[in-house]
Amino acid sequence: MISDFEDDGPGPADVDLDRAWLGVAAEVWRRQPGPTERLAGRLLRSPGLARALVTTPSLLLGWVIASVVVLAVGAAATLGTGTPYVACVAPAVAGIGIAFAYGPGIDPAWELSQSMAVSDRMVLLVRALAVFALNAVLGLAASAASGAAAEVTLGWLVPMTAVSALALATATVSRSPFTGVAAALAAWAITLLSGQVAGRLTLTITSTGLIAPYLAVAAACIAVVLYTTRIPGGTRP
Amino acid sequence: MTMTTEPLSIELSGVTRRFGRTQAVAGVSLDTGPGVFGLLGPNGAGKTSLLRMMATVLPPSSGQLRLLGRDPGAAGPRRDIRRRLGYLPQNLGYYPGFTVAEFVEYFALLKDMPPARVPRAVATAIDHVGLGDQARAKLRTLSGGMLRRAGIAQAVVNDPDLLLLDEPTAGLDPEQRVAFRALLRDLGQHAAVVVSTHLVEDVGAACAQVALMEAGKIVFHGTPAALAGRGEGTGAAGDAPLERGYSAVLAAARSGLAVRS
Repeated sequence: MISDFEDDGPGPADVDLDRAWLGVAAEVWRRQPGPTERLAGRLLRSPGLARALVTTPSLLLGWVIASVVVLAVGAAATLGTGTPYVACVAPAVAGIGIAFAYGPGIDPAWELSQSMAVSDRMVLLVRALAVFALNAVLGLAASAASGAAAEVTLGWLVPMTAVSALALATATVSRSPFTGVAAALAAWAITLLSGQVAGRLTLTITSTGLIAPYLAVAAACIAVVLYTTRIPGGTRP
Repeated sequence: MTMTTEPLSIELSGVTRRFGRTQAVAGVSLDTGPGVFGLLGPNGAGKTSLLRMMATVLPPSSGQLRLLGRDPGAAGPRRDIRRRLGYLPQNLGYYPGFTVAEFVEYFALLKDMPPARVPRAVATAIDHVGLGDQARAKLRTLSGGMLRRAGIAQAVVNDPDLLLLDEPTAGLDPEQRVAFRALLRDLGQHAAVVVSTHLVEDVGAACAQVALMEAGKIVFHGTPAALAGRGEGTGAAGDAPLERGYSAVLAAARSGLAVRS
């Protein structure tokens, strides 16, 4: 009885189905940010930066679990032998994490990321800081659990800063996380071995005389990163 | 659409780009506005380098560049340009664990779009490229053509005033290419769109203006019809008038006769 419906007011033909569909699709496809991303969005005042942060490869669950395992083994070895393995391992773990935080070899869409309003330099710095902070917390926990002396528990934080900065600078300049990791690990291994040769492995961790050189290396490396990721003013002749 | 009274323009003056001893772009000057602009040329002609400079990814070695009335060499204007920019690189990497919707949303957020606008913009962009059925599919499960369409979706998600597409139809089947050209014509009505391609039929179907590059230089700038006219009576190779015009202009350029309309 089609004629019964003729005067029943607006029918389905008056509904903008495309618009309605897009409204439904927008709700169905929308991704709800997790608590970490919401918190990061509030702290950084940028949802884009927050999303870039939570997609950091070396902050993903698998990577964090691997870091925890390495540090836990280090803590157990320290407890068993008395040698401060956590202090030796923590800077290396942080350096690897930072080298794999951001870059052309890490982000598949890095070329595209470079054309975004949220600058790739900001993404790099935020990711590097977050990886550093997480590794510092994990390292401190492992160090405390290993029962190391206070000077050892805190002493590796300064070399960790230098190793992390070196990894970041090398990875940024070479555009390869693997080169960053290689440089950081090699430098840290040489530093530790030189302490061993001098008579004590912990010398490179606890010696207050090395704080200034470590900080100088870190500052130089950060300057290199800032220079490499500067906004080029190349549009003028 | 972004309502703006600011110029939808691309102005290049003597722009060059060197990579070591190789000169990829050799003093290109160009002035174009709203509409679809085709950038043609053989492999290695400098199209991608020129597009990357327009995308603010690569700074010029020398020359002046103004995009949407702004100088991308300064941080503030550069950010403004990027908010209004859509860019599809030639080699677009994908996050295999992202869904299509997550991928498009990620770049909408990195373009600094207001978060409240993002879900609808994502749905609209995905719908535009015909990927609605795959919106929640992981990128690793998609075909090459679908991935390309996901890339186009992220480029148009912010309804850009400046849209730069490098080989956008690579991997698309004929039906998708026809649909994409219609999308291009639609976008070109309210944005400056530059399409780099080596497929002359894309240019003929969608572009109001075309430039042909060879060895880092623009050797032809005019309408597709004018380019086709260059091939008339020359005996140049090609199955269609545009292809013959393309071949004739390239042959002339290579023999040292730069042609400009």
